[in-house]
This record gives sequence, C-alpha cells and structure tokens, in this order.
Amino acid sequence: MFSNYLKLAIKVLGRRTFFTVISLFGISFTLMILILLSAYMDAELGSHQPLSQKDQMIFLNRLMMTNEVIDTSYQIDTVMLDGVEVYDSTEVLDENRNSVSISSLGYYFCDNYLRDVAGADIYSFYSPSFSYDIFVNGKKLSFDVVYSDADFWNIYDYQFSNGRPFRQQEVDNQGQVVVLTEKAAQDYFGSMEAAMGEFIEIDGKQFEVIGLVKRPSNSKGFLSGQAFMPLTTLQPIYLDDDKNFQGPFEAVFLASSATGMNDIEQSIQQKAQQTALPDPENYNHLYLITSDFFGRYANSIFPNSDNDPEKSKRTFILIGGGLLLLFILLPTLNLINLNVSRIMERSAEIGVRKAFGAHSGSILTQLLFENIVLTFLGGAIGFVLAFILLHLVNDSNILGDTLLRINYRVFGYSLLICLAFGIISGLLPAYRMSKIHIANAIKQNNV
Amino acid sequence: MILLKDVTKVYQTKTIETTALNNISLEVPTGEFLSIMGPSGCGKSTLLNIMGMIDEPTSGQVAIQGQAVSDYHTKAVARFRNEKLGFIFQSFHLINELSVIDNVELPLIYRRISGKKRREMAQTALEQVGLKNRMKHFPGQLSGGQKQRVAIARAIVGQPNIILADEPTGNLDSVMGNEIMDILLNLNKELGTTIVMVTHDETMARKTHRLVRLFDGSQVL
Repeated sequence: MFSNYLKLAIKVLGRRTFFTVISLFGISFTLMILILLSAYMDAELGSHQPLSQKDQMIFLNRLMMTNEVIDTSYQIDTVMLDGVEVYDSTEVLDENRNSVSISSLGYYFCDNYLRDVAGADIYSFYSPSFSYDIFVNGKKLSFDVVYSDADFWNIYDYQFSNGRPFRQQEVDNQGQVVVLTEKAAQDYFGSMEAAMGEFIEIDGKQFEVIGLVKRPSNSKGFLSGQAFMPLTTLQPIYLDDDKNFQGPFEAVFLASSATGMNDIEQSIQQKAQQTALPDPENYNHLYLITSDFFGRYANSIFPNSDNDPEKSKRTFILIGGGLLLLFILLPTLNLINLNVSRIMERSAEIGVRKAFGAHSGSILTQLLFENIVLTFLGGAIGFVLAFILLHLVNDSNILGDTLLRINYRVFGYSLLICLAFGIISGLLPAYRMSKIHIANAIKQNNV
Repeated sequence: MILLKDVTKVYQTKTIETTALNNISLEVPTGEFLSIMGPSGCGKSTLLNIMGMIDEPTSGQVAIQGQAVSDYHTKAVARFRNEKLGFIFQSFHLINELSVIDNVELPLIYRRISGKKRREMAQTALEQVGLKNRMKHFPGQLSGGQKQRVAIARAIVGQPNIILADEPTGNLDSVMGNEIMDILLNLNKELGTTIVMVTHDETMARKTHRLVRLFDGSQVL
C-alpha cells in the first residue's frame, strides 16, 4: 500500500511543477532555518565540551544580603457604628527589606563556607569577570581571562589541542602559567605551534603558556575567555581575608547523580540560613541563588531584578517558544493553504478511491504520507542548505566561540521537525478531503 | 440482489429544494443486467449512487445482498463497497499518474492482499478486457475505449457481485461503445455479475435484461 502511495506521491509532485517548487522552497527554507536554530540551541544547551557534565552541575553565582526588619504599622479606617462614623485602627506587623545587596561571591566566602557542600563530588571556584587589553606588535587584543582553581578543569572538560591544564600545586604556588584558546594563541603569537612554552604578558605579569584549548562550543559569558589562569595570580585585593562575602567569584558543584544535585541545593540553602553575616547591623539575611545549567544560561541571557533563575527560564521558554511558534506557524499556514489547493484538485481521485473501498482513515493516511514525503524532500534540500550555511556561519565567526555542528542529535531534531511540519501542514487538508462526499467528489471530473 | 424501497432523495440549499428521486421502489435480482434511462437531470445517476452506497437517500430503505444500509460512513460500508461493488464511470476516472496495472490494482490496495497477488489479479482482469499488452502504459497513452476497458478491469478486479456503470459508453464512439457493451454482457453472462447501467443509448439498453425509465425523479416504466 505504502509503495503505491509513494509512487503516487512522487508522481503528484510532477503534476503541478509551480506548486511543487513553491512548496519545496517554503519547506526547505523554513527547515533550513529550523535546522540551524536547532544546531545553535544544541551548541548552546547540549552536553558538549566543556559542558559534557552540565546535567550534574549546580551553579552558585549570586548571593543576596538583605536587612529585614519587622515594622509595626497602623491602618486607620472609618466605619459606621450605630449610624455614627467612627475611626477604627488595625495593627499590621510586616517584615520589610530596608536594604538589599546583590553580587557575585567573594573568595573568602567560597573558601570558608562552600568547601563542604553535601552531595558535591567536586567543586570549583572561578572568576570569569576580568578583561585586559594586551598589546602585541602595535596591535591591541582584548582578552577575557578566567581565574580558577585546578578542579575547574575536572568539571569543565575543555578539549586540549596541546599541553595541559594547570595543577593544584601551581595554583597553590601562584604559578605564572596560562592556558590559551587556540584563537588567542594565534592572535598573540601568530601561530598555535609557536605559543607553547612562550610567555605572554597579562596584567603586567609574564605567564608561560602551558596549554591550548580548542574553540569551546559555547558562547556563555560566564564560562568563556581567551585565557585561563590560576586564581591565586589575581591581585591580592580579590583574595584577601577581610571576611568579605562579596567579590568576583562564582562556584560550580558537580554531583555524581540527580539526587546528588538535590543534596547540593539543600546543603547550600542550609548554609544560607546558618551562616552568620559579617555585618549583621546592615544585613541580617543571606540568600544564595543557585541554578542548574539551564537556569544559569537563561539568567545570563534574560537577567531579572530578582536574580531568579526560574524566572529567567520561564522568560527564555516563553520568548524562545513564542518566536519558534511564530516562525513555524507562518510557513505552516502558508503550506496548509497550498496543500488545500493541491489536494482539492484531486477530489475526484479521492472520490474514486472511496467508491472503491477506501475509508476516511486510508485517505487521511495516504494524503498525510504524501505530504510527509514532500516535507522530507524539502527537508533534505533544507538540510543541505543548512549544512552549507552552517559552515559559512562558523567560518565567519559571527557567533563568536559558538561552533555549530550537525551531529546525530541535530539530525534527529531535523527529522522530527520534518515529521512535525509534514503532519501539521497536511493534517487539516487531508482531514477535510477524507471526509469528502463521494458522489460530489466524483462529479469534479478532474482525476 | 439490490432492494430499494420508497427511496427519496432531496437536494436542499438555503433557498431551493430539488427532489432528485421521488419514492422509488426497485428490486434488482442477482444476475440481472438492468439499464436505467431517462432525460438529463431525471435522477439516473443519483439512483445509481444510492445503489452503490456512495450517496445516501433522504428517506426510504436500501438493502444490498440482503444487508440493509443505515450508516454510509462506516468502515464496514467501505469494506462492503470494496468487496461487493464495482464502479464504471462515464469519464473513466483513471489516475493519470499511475500506470494501467497500478490503476487496476487500486481496489485491491484496500484489502489485505500481498503485492504479488494484487499484480496477478490485476493482470487477469486486464486479460479479461483484452489489455494485457498495455499494462505498463499510462492512461494518457490510451484511446477512450481502452481507458474504459481499464476502468472495467478496475471494476472487476476484486470480483464484485455487482457492477454499477454510469453511462459507460457515453464518451465513446459506436464501435468502441459496442466493444464495451460486449464486455459487460459477457461479464453478466459468464460470471453472473449483477449489472446496473445508466445510459442514454436506447440500442445499448435494449441489449440488457430490463429497462427502467425515470422522469423527474419518478419511475415511469
């Protein structure tokens, strides 16, 4: 049966070449964009180096200190009592926030309170907040530098093309070593090969290049940089022991399992409740804002005044989903319209099929199948176009460090998109045709 | 056997009500070759469609082979049409994109029959109408008479008990019309297939067992 449908589907495509070309153009263009979008989302949110373990990570990048005081206020109302207007007062006890301070974490806080978080197999403290202008051969380069401990490399699995990450001993000894991205090495030294073992001046100090990492497949500001150095090489002001809870650091915790992630969350929130604040007169409450990877990512794109990652997730899903829906809906409606015209032309054929025993379900299946064939054909063209465009985007560096790839996951998404697109755009016309009145359809005389 | 009792068909629009069939009662015994005649618009095709369960009457009862038809939209009715009925249309209604043999196979697609068996049955049907050498051709490459023979092959491929033919010779010249008529007569005689044929051609009608005449939706003979 399906071979017959396939045969007919291919032949029907040749029946009205103009319609077919318009349909294929619409489908292939839309799918090309959707495939590129799914490749982009996969690069951003997929489990790729250096975030292969992202689903086991808990991020702690913000702490909020507040001063909460209980205020008593009086609410005065007028009421009628025995026909006379009298005043009535209500006492209201309310907890008000007098002052709020939100920032990333200080090293003192990380070092003293975050080293024994339950459920965390490994943790790392790092700061991605520093940028330096570096001059080489009269050319200015802007480098974002990530200062970290050694476990940073055990959590984030950057792909080394040469050399190695720095070790704990080098962190402890303030080792003047640096890991560069391949591109940074190319920009500074002229070639990647020349960089290893050479020195680069950053922040007035000389650092030996000990490793090169490949272009990481992400564009997350909270993780990306051109240079990676031991956090102990930061200026002492950022590491001093003055009980400062605030600073330029953030923490990441790696759990061994999903339940471990819950333990980490709970343990961190317990710490927020139990930790004594250094300046209780000004701030008496501590809130630690944790998130999973998606929350951290969404918050970096859609920050909100409450610093609530869940709110950022909702905004991301709402805006992203809305745009995607709009992008799919418009061509789908257009395709439905085209399909209605294309299928209505075949009403006599459908009438004959029904007269010879096809029931509505068979007609629906046949027309949907034909539409899916058309969509997959458009999908194949769209896939080739997306592949070409993807290489152009990667080569042009439009998306910075984000490297788009069509891998099996993106291929799977593409197939799903094709299938969904084919079903959605074909369902309504196919349903209408499957319910067609046989005698009226046969009168159309246009098989 | 086809049994129609007090069948009325009214087409209704917002403003106009047209009675296509008015209280028709008719019995077509098994093995009969019946022709229906009448002027254009008298309800011949409507009557044939109701017999073929592809249109439903406004009132009255229809029973085909002893089975009363009430709901025309069920899978069971579709299966019944597939197994028991064959249709021949004036304008052939072949699918131009499919080859002759694929067109003939069409009713068998809706049965659980293997591709090989379908092909064998379609070849046999084409042989019966003398078109075995045109299997790979497409409808566009055939003459009108050949197209109608393909349509007959499609109607008989599933070995139905009843064939309903709506002006099968209407688009053909007299020579080809006679050829088609001979095939139908042969089917009726040799296989005992019940045939109901709508025609405008008195000569063709006279070759059948019985003639029913309609006028303005009513049976006049």
